[in-house]
Formats: sequence, structure tokens, C-alpha cells
Amino acid sequence: MQDRDQSVSLKLAAEARFIPLVQGVVEQGAAAFGLDRGKALRLTMAAEELLSHLAETSGGVAVDLTLTPGGWCVRADFSFVADPSDLWAMNLAAREDIGPGKSMDRLGLLLAARMSDGFEIRLDGRVVHLELRQDHAYEAANPRPVRVVDARGEVVMVDDPEPALIREACALAVDHYPAHLVNETFFTPGKAADMVARGDMNAVVAVDSAGTLAGLMVWRSPSERSVGFCGPYVFVRGGGTAGFLEARMLATVARTKAVSLFSELGTDDLTAENYELLGRLPLGRPGPRGDSGLGDGPEGVELDIRFRHLREDSGRAVWAHPSMRSFLEAAYDRLVLMRDIREADHAGANLPERSVFSARLRPELGIATLAPMVVGRDADRAVADHVRALTRDGYRSILFRLDLAHGWQATLAGSLADNGFSPRLVLPDAGMADVVVFLHG
Amino acid sequence: MADFDLRRLVPPHVRAFEAYRPSNPDSELMRLYGVDHLHRLNNNENALGPAPTVREVVDSFPPGAVPVYPNGDCFDLRHSLAGRFDKDAERFLVGNGSCEVIASVIKAFCEEGDNIVTADRTFAVYEWVAEFSGIKARLIPLKDMAFDPRGMLDAMDERTKVLFVCNPNNPTGTYWDKATMDAFLDEVAGRAVVVIDEAYCEYVDRDDYPDGMSLVERHPNVIVFRTFSKMYALAALRVGYLCGSVEVVDMVRRTHVVYSVNTLAQRCAQAALENDAPFIAATRAMVREARELLCPMFDSMGLEYIANEGNYLMVRVPMPDTLMYRKLMRKGVMVRTMTGFRFPNWIRVSLVQRPVMEDFCRAFGQVLDETA
Repeated sequence: MQDRDQSVSLKLAAEARFIPLVQGVVEQGAAAFGLDRGKALRLTMAAEELLSHLAETSGGVAVDLTLTPGGWCVRADFSFVADPSDLWAMNLAAREDIGPGKSMDRLGLLLAARMSDGFEIRLDGRVVHLELRQDHAYEAANPRPVRVVDARGEVVMVDDPEPALIREACALAVDHYPAHLVNETFFTPGKAADMVARGDMNAVVAVDSAGTLAGLMVWRSPSERSVGFCGPYVFVRGGGTAGFLEARMLATVARTKAVSLFSELGTDDLTAENYELLGRLPLGRPGPRGDSGLGDGPEGVELDIRFRHLREDSGRAVWAHPSMRSFLEAAYDRLVLMRDIREADHAGANLPERSVFSARLRPELGIATLAPMVVGRDADRAVADHVRALTRDGYRSILFRLDLAHGWQATLAGSLADNGFSPRLVLPDAGMADVVVFLHG
Repeated sequence: MADFDLRRLVPPHVRAFEAYRPSNPDSELMRLYGVDHLHRLNNNENALGPAPTVREVVDSFPPGAVPVYPNGDCFDLRHSLAGRFDKDAERFLVGNGSCEVIASVIKAFCEEGDNIVTADRTFAVYEWVAEFSGIKARLIPLKDMAFDPRGMLDAMDERTKVLFVCNPNNPTGTYWDKATMDAFLDEVAGRAVVVIDEAYCEYVDRDDYPDGMSLVERHPNVIVFRTFSKMYALAALRVGYLCGSVEVVDMVRRTHVVYSVNTLAQRCAQAALENDAPFIAATRAMVREARELLCPMFDSMGLEYIANEGNYLMVRVPMPDTLMYRKLMRKGVMVRTMTGFRFPNWIRVSLVQRPVMEDFCRAFGQVLDETA
């Protein structure tokens, strides 16, 4: 039997003459995987920009293009084995490096991101992945008038909630909560239900004894060792719904590989004693694509980031640039986290010439999250170039994440400080070790 | 060099399994947390031990015995157990702690597609061994903090091979009384093996507590687990054992690794059984005194707690249990967090000598005061 998710693959050289081939494969493949014509065209144009960028920066490199249906989306993944000295071309700001006369507003990777619903650059061993994601078109949920009722009888969790129940719960969350606290997928409930069905998002739904929807909570695993949740969203008065939702989530994740649990969008219904407060981060503001679904979105709003460990913390060693030592010491003392802080500085180190940063862009929210893949001698300039490029493209919240498991990542803190970044919070065990999040501006 | 495709070689159920990572050694924890002592209240060890008879064995253990392999199947210890429980020595199988005999039982009875049934909030090793062996663990929610016999029976199907009942349950300390256990075993009716894990049985002083050693006489599908790690205070030596019918034990022996219990451990376990009544009585008194100290304190603080059988209790704290752990560690007290047992915000505290319990009370109160 044929796998309904069977991907389409294409091997080609990164050369401009293959652009029509890629266009054809992506456009027709996306249509075959169910994307509507408009969405398929956007993905096609983004793929064209990507190949064009690769042809210009890494001409001739052998590229694997894989088009994969994801249930609620279609992904186009360009992967290739890169020589470390060529990786710089994967920087968002790379085109600035390839010669004079290139306009900053024609940066191919940023253009591709702007046309996509998701864009990610990541390094898997020596293989670079440039991944574009285009979501299926779903009917949007608009807020309806709310009438809060008392829970009738006992509130219970629904095992394996059916898609219709998830869709209705998402719509209720849109009704009951300010847009900036609602998981973005809830604005298209069908997409949320499809993501749950695919296992790309976990959901727990509560009902009262009359079958009235009482609450919803969702979570996902941004990394193998961490879980991020949104909610709890509560639709009835009384019944202890929030506590039940959180208890179910905790019971589910307690014996997984996850070490830490973080709030991505924690509502006021959240049980404060279940978590530790880490600090605040910007929610995101209208960005380069202005279709966030968040309505006007509260300009400049920040959100508490809460966390809890899922296991006992046995302490660990972390790397730190001298410039962040005092921040880390204060954070660790406040969080009662035992860490041996080892200072790392790249002074005297034999560094590669160029830096390379991975990027996760959310154009609809104006959030760009960067992380180092390679830290080179040009780190100061690379950080500055990225900030300039992203700012010009409308990204107003630029975050940089450093995993303190790696001394070479920690060294970048000096360049970040010199370019207007400051450490905002520590995410315990969010990566291989703790992750420090820097915010620009 | 040829590529080594590790993922291809490892079964999916092993790849998906998250290895349990034990705590760092005490010396490392003390250094990290900046303390000069550490009260270990996390593993339900018997701090009163070992018994004098065991101390003698340890003190007089001849270095000349070190180069010699231990007896491969704990011959002397099994005969001591046979004498103690008036059973044939072939009905006992000794392992390197109960964890080893759990693995042996699952290996003996389960194959791909089979399942085991146990509770969701109990000793985790039943679930872990099943999962990393590719066997489905059906986890039945506790009912009123106790194993739910009806839920377990309803979860059985033709592929259910083993039911694990922790009696008393770790960490809730609840137990099935004789009537509940008899009714359960009657309804299982030999369709599956029933493991009754009595790791903490020596702490139970209740008339209605069922004795697994009697149950194995009436139910050929029952296997009883016991350990020398808890009441007998031999945790460092790792000795656990099972008892069942000769036929059942013969099957389990086929999947059991021999020579896994070292000579000192075998001799100490034998010694622990000698005249153990005074030591057990003293330990029970210590546990009782500790419980009587802690429970009123939790009452006065308005904290929910579960204090039943066993040398431990659980208390629900107004913060993540993992945070309470770190804060107590900074004061030299190590407890067990319960999120992994699916009791988020609960800690389990071992019940030991009064001075240590008083230290715990002081540290616990300080943490709550600081948090408030």
C-alpha cells in the first residue's frame, strides 16, 4: 500500500537553469498534496528564490529537494552537504557578502521566508537544511460573543478527543481570550485539529458532566528535552478545569524525554504554583507580513515565561562569555540552579573566517530567532548584518539563543552585547544545556 | 571506515525510550549545592541499618573471597529463605535487586504484542522494563490513591501476560487487604501471572494485610517479590528475590542471569534474616515516630499529605516539587520529587531517625517561609 504521506524528491545541482524544473515540481507537487492554487504558487515562488540564492552563493552544489505533505501543510526542504567554509552563504544576510551592487531588500532567503508560513535554516551534522513551509488554507475563526456558564457536575478529561471537539474548543479559546494569548493555530481550528491528529501538537480537552466544553490546553516539543505549552484555556466557571488540564499535561509529559516544561502562551488561568517565573519576552508585533491573525495585537506587550523541571536537577557545568557572567550568576541564584560557570572567550582561538547563524522566522509576528551554527572571526559584523537585514525587513523582535553546552556558542555573547543585545532570561535545559535568550534593543 | 548506521540497528522501542539517569554521587551534589552534609531522604533507605548480624559479616568479610566468583544462584541464601518461609529452595530466585527479577519475569512471559497491566502511579520500573523490551504497559489510574482492581481486570485481554501489584504501593503506601486481593486473584483466574511486589511488606503491621507467601500456595500464577534493600537496609548490596511455584520459577530462571549477586551481598542477606525481629521492631518504631512528627507539622501548615504504610510519606507542596528539591538540597536535605511518578508538586520523604527528621522539618519550614 502506498504511504499517503509519500514525499517527492529531486536531486539537482544548484544552478539557475534548473529553476523551471524546481518550479514545476513544487507547484505540481504542492497541488497534488492538496495546497490550493494560491498557496502552491507562494511555495513555488519561495522555492524559486531559494534555488536562485543557492545558485548565486553555492553554485553547482548537489541539492536534495524533498517536498513532503504534513497533513496540515506542505514542506519543501532543500538540503545539501556544505563545506564548513561555504556555510556562510546560508546566512540571511549572505547576499551582502557576495559583491557590490546587491540591494539589501533582495535578500533571497528573507524573500523566501516572507512568502512562506514557516522558514527554518538548520544544520544536521554537515547537512544544511533550508526548509519552507506552506500551510493549507483553513477557514478562520472569528471571536463570537461570550457567555460564561458554570460547570455542571464534575469536569473530566476527554480521552482522544475527536477533531470536531478540538475545533470547537479552539474556536471557544478565540472567543474567550485576548488574541495575543491564543495559540496562533486556534484562529484556524481545522489546522489545529489536523496538527493534533498528526501528532505535531498535543491537546487535552475537558468537558463537564453535561458534555459542555470546559477547557483546552495544547503543547508541543520544540526540542527533544523540552515541552512548550499554551493555555490553559477555560470556558466555564468553577470545576477546577485549569488544574485538571495541567495535571493531565504533566502526567503525559512526566515520563518522556523532556526535562523542562515552558509556557509559550500562559493564560491568567494557569496555576501559578505549578511553575517558576523565568522572566518576560516580547509577544511579537505586526511584522513584515502583517497578517498575524492577532488583530491589532498589543504593541510592545511582553509575556511571562514560566517553567518547571520535570526531573530533579543534578547541577551541570555551563559555558559563559565573561560579559554574561554576572547575569548568569544572578539568574542561577534566583532560580536555585547549581551551575559551574566556565568562562569561554575566543581570544587566541583558531576561528573560521565566517560566522553562520540559523534562523527561525515568524513574519506574521515580526519575530526572528537566531542561533549560531558557526562562530567565526567576523562575528561582530555578522551579528550587525543580521540585525540590519531583519530590521529592514520588518522584524521588530530579534532574539538570539545561545546554548551554554557549547563554549563556542557562549563566546558570541560578546558580539551580541556590542550590537545592542542584552540577555533577558535563562531557559533551563532548553537545549543540550541551558539556553540564554538575548533580545535586541 | 564504513558508515555505522546506529539507528538501523536499534529497535524503535529502544530508540524511543528515555534512559533513567540516576542522581550524581553525594559528594558531587554536596559540592554543587555548597553543603557539608546531605540527609538522604529520597530513596526510602533504612538509616537505622544494617542489623548487627550484618555488620559482623561486613566487618569479617575475608579479602580472600574477593577473587572468587560468588555462588551462581545464591544456593545458601535460597535455602535460608526456604527455611524462613517453609518452602522448597527451588521456589526462590534471587537477583541483583528487585529490578533484575522484574526484568526476568517480563522476559520469561512476554513477547512482541503482549502487554502488562499495572498502575499509572507506582514503582516505575515495571513500566520501564516493559517499554524498553517492546512490551506495552497498560497503566491504570489509581483509585483513591490505591491500585484499582476493577480497572486492572477490565484492562486485561488475551495478550495480557503479567499484572504487577505493588502492595503496599510505592509511593502512596496504600495496600489491598486480604479480601480485595483474594477477589482479584479469583477473577484473574490464572489467565495471567500476578506479581505482588512486597518490597515494603515488613513495614506493614496490619491484620488485614495479605501475606504473599501464603498466596503463592493457593494461586499457582502468583509471584511474590521481596527485597533486602528496604527494611533490611542492604540497599548498597542490591539483593531482591522472587518466590512462586516451582514450575513458574523454573520458567523465570531461564531468562535470569546467574552470578549477578555478589558474595558479600549473599552472606549479608542471609545474616539479615537471622533474629530479625528486634531490628524490624526498632525500625518500625523509628518510622512511627517520624510519621508522628511530620504529619502534625503538615496539618499545621495546611498541606495535603499521604502517609500510609511503608517508611515514607508524600506531601503536596505549594510550588513545583523540582523547585522544592533544589531549595531543600541547598539546605542539605535530599527528597524525591514526584513529577516522574505523575504526582506533580508532591515530594516523597523517607522516614528516618528523629534528629534527621527535625532537620528536615526545619529546612522545609524555612523554604516555605522564604517562598511566602
